[in-house]
Amino acid sequence: MKRPWLWAASLAVYAFLYLPLAVVVLFSFNDSMLNAEWVGFTTRWYGKLLHDEDMLQAAANSLLIALVSSSIATVLGAMAGLAMHRYRPPWMPLLVLTPVAMPEILLGVSLLLFFRQVLDLSLGLFSILVAHITFSIGFVAVIVRGRLAGMDESIFEAARDLGATPWATFRRITLPLIMPALLAGFLMAFTLSIDDFVITFFVAGVGVNTLPLQIYSMIKVAVTPEVNAISTLLMALTLTLILIAARFAPDVLKGRS
Amino acid sequence: MKSPSAQRRLLAFGVPAVLLLANLPASAADTLYLYNWNNYISEDTVRRFEAHCGCRLNQDYYSDNEEMLAKLEAGAVGYDLLVPTGNAVESLIRRQALRELDKSKLPNLRNVKREFLDAWFDPGNRHSVPYATSVTLIGYNVGKIQELGLPTDTWALIFEPKYLEKLKGRVTVLNSQRELMAAAMKYLGHSVQEHDPARWDEAKRLILRAKPYWAAFSNSTYIKDLAIGTVWVAHGYSNDMFRAQQDAAAAQRPFSIGFATPKEGAVLAVDSLVLHKSGRRPDLAHRFIDFMLAGENAADVSNLIGAGNPNAAATPYILPEIAANPGIFPPPAELKRLEMLRDFDPKLRRTLSRMWTEIKVR
Amino acid sequence: MSAPRTQPAGLTKWAVTLPPTLFLLAFFLVPALIVVVAGFRETGEFGGLAPWPQVSLDAWRFLLGDVIYLEVFARSFLVAALTTLICIVLAYPLAWLIARSPKQRRDVLVLLVILPFASNFLVRIYAWIMLLGPANLLYTPLAVIVGMVYAHLPFMVLPLYTNLEKHDPALLEAAQDLGANAWTRFWRVTFPLSLPGIFSGSALVFIPVLGMFAAPELLGGTGDILIGNLIKEQFLDNRDWPLGSALAIMLTACVLALAGLSAWAAKRGMHGTEAIT
Repeated sequence: MKRPWLWAASLAVYAFLYLPLAVVVLFSFNDSMLNAEWVGFTTRWYGKLLHDEDMLQAAANSLLIALVSSSIATVLGAMAGLAMHRYRPPWMPLLVLTPVAMPEILLGVSLLLFFRQVLDLSLGLFSILVAHITFSIGFVAVIVRGRLAGMDESIFEAARDLGATPWATFRRITLPLIMPALLAGFLMAFTLSIDDFVITFFVAGVGVNTLPLQIYSMIKVAVTPEVNAISTLLMALTLTLILIAARFAPDVLKGRS
Repeated sequence: MKSPSAQRRLLAFGVPAVLLLANLPASAADTLYLYNWNNYISEDTVRRFEAHCGCRLNQDYYSDNEEMLAKLEAGAVGYDLLVPTGNAVESLIRRQALRELDKSKLPNLRNVKREFLDAWFDPGNRHSVPYATSVTLIGYNVGKIQELGLPTDTWALIFEPKYLEKLKGRVTVLNSQRELMAAAMKYLGHSVQEHDPARWDEAKRLILRAKPYWAAFSNSTYIKDLAIGTVWVAHGYSNDMFRAQQDAAAAQRPFSIGFATPKEGAVLAVDSLVLHKSGRRPDLAHRFIDFMLAGENAADVSNLIGAGNPNAAATPYILPEIAANPGIFPPPAELKRLEMLRDFDPKLRRTLSRMWTEIKVR
Repeated sequence: MSAPRTQPAGLTKWAVTLPPTLFLLAFFLVPALIVVVAGFRETGEFGGLAPWPQVSLDAWRFLLGDVIYLEVFARSFLVAALTTLICIVLAYPLAWLIARSPKQRRDVLVLLVILPFASNFLVRIYAWIMLLGPANLLYTPLAVIVGMVYAHLPFMVLPLYTNLEKHDPALLEAAQDLGANAWTRFWRVTFPLSLPGIFSGSALVFIPVLGMFAAPELLGGTGDILIGNLIKEQFLDNRDWPLGSALAIMLTACVLALAGLSAWAAKRGMHGTEAIT
């Protein structure tokens, strides 16, 4: 294999990324409530989990919110990134970056104040969705713009000269070009959403629970093996979902034609 | 060159999402919404209450009074019941955020111990019913403390360098300006409500002198640190110390965890059940409160998390080792030395917060 | 850079620009203005805000009249800069490897980067507690940095990868043909070309780090207080919304000014590289 040092460095970074994960997965099979040292193998935490309706409901909510919000955020963020690159509306960078720059507590409080005291909206899944889209757009926009930066614009002009409609130009040229950025942006938005505690805490309505809310309330005392188990399952589920998506829409994962 | 439309790509994500959405349960008409501390009611008791009232009990959780207050302050609504601590009860009452109790619907109110009724935060208990108590005290690794020959009944353990020298890096204190300040004030012989600038300054110097010996300000990780044995002395809540004690025993650690209220006095927290004005089912909320006031149900919170209990009828149902623990159930003489925290006014709060920042930065 | 202002403006432009603009105006700017205004109001007696129409500069006077807050700011920017730098160093080889892998393998490698983050943030932090504890590194500034780097690494890898992926290998080959060695090829060709990716990634790491409070709170020692903790404290401990808002406004303004400054510097600095693109 060429570039052995590159492989070595990359493997080390992957190891860094997976080290804590190994701990999480390992201890989800550990037969000790204390979660501090290896005692023995068990699958009972998973059994317990399957009977924990609150937890399962929270997981379903989280996945739903993450999928929908990251899809919408990817579309809106891509538009924003494209607009910044091509049309340069002077307000766009500010509008896109500020939500990223704003501390999340403030974002949560401000959205809650807005939903309740300005719109008089009842809180629920919708308010969480809107909040998650809001903080994800910027991430997608920045990555899409970074992808487009320095791109050769002549091919768009060529397409136009050949009589392609803007839509056709977008589908045939722009979209394949930014596809890796869309995938990366979607994945970022997805993890931001599925992980968010602070903002969700504020905008979640009564009786609507997400996984981070559920886990946070359990973790306050200590991470139980059950929490490790749900985290493990969540990773497995995410992987499965992505693979399913890849099967039904193979081009999502290989956008380049 | 094949390039499927953007719609199809989106569909791949959108369709499963919509299917998931369809699966969400419709909210039941007879649902009581409780905004509660996590793990304050056992699942068994929840089931029994649901059977008793023929309704559903839905719980959302907070891990700090301030989280709950901030969320309500920003306009969150729909909670029938809250379980705030004394100072938060006072603040909610004065914000006119609570519904008055209809005591004719609470025959079991007679079960509450007299010393917990008619507290300063709600004279006459017009809005609140005491439910659980805890004491902010010192938890310790029994083996280590004996080995080092240290006292356990005084705040000096976390403030005096002569003791701390043997404990360097093995002590955590609460990450809470009010709680730590209260401990310092108690050690210096003042009230936890003390806000004379000179005495605040005195407390600050005490804290800064001890800080180099502390490992961290911790509100939750100390439980596990104690149980594992990496932390030997922690400033924290009695129910958390109880948890650490249980965990250490369950994991068969070679040491045990003890906890005791310092002789100088400490902070007592009383959590009460209150009705939020935005709740839609005060009828169910009253039934819930009365249900939880029955001895058998009231004992739940003590058996589950080692909370102190203001309910006299609960005593026979509480596990003897918990009922006999003076850290959880302070004897009457000790109870007199405990003080509840009252909110400072906004100006004092800001000054204290600035001092807290300075303590951390220095 | 020749921005194609020649495009027929009108429909396409607005179809692309309007939806995100309107969404963010409605659900970000308007709500944000509420809390910006909060920075100029008084604290309510029991928390929250005093009733309208009291306006006050107290929070600002308090904040600006005290070096201690400046110190926390400086410290936070230092931690954010350090985190960003480490993220760049760690992310670069990984992003490069992914970008240079065969197409079929690329997406799997990208997924592998993001997959750990489908678990739960707090669970990962607690996993680090378990790892750092026995190494005697828990409750130290180093632990905070490790937590920060870990939490934000994908936000550096992904933008960098999407940038590196589009580089034309022919350029490197050309450089090689001209006799440039590996280091020169990297330093003179790849690195300058990847600057937009580094900038995107740095924005997505540097900025969120400043608002983080969980890592310092759970991993840090007695001195690890960052601006995120300070802001959190005002809302979730101290009930001082005006001071919290003022702190957040100041932070956001600093960040945006910095972003503007670096964009300007980048534009000036990249004139040389534009010939290549």
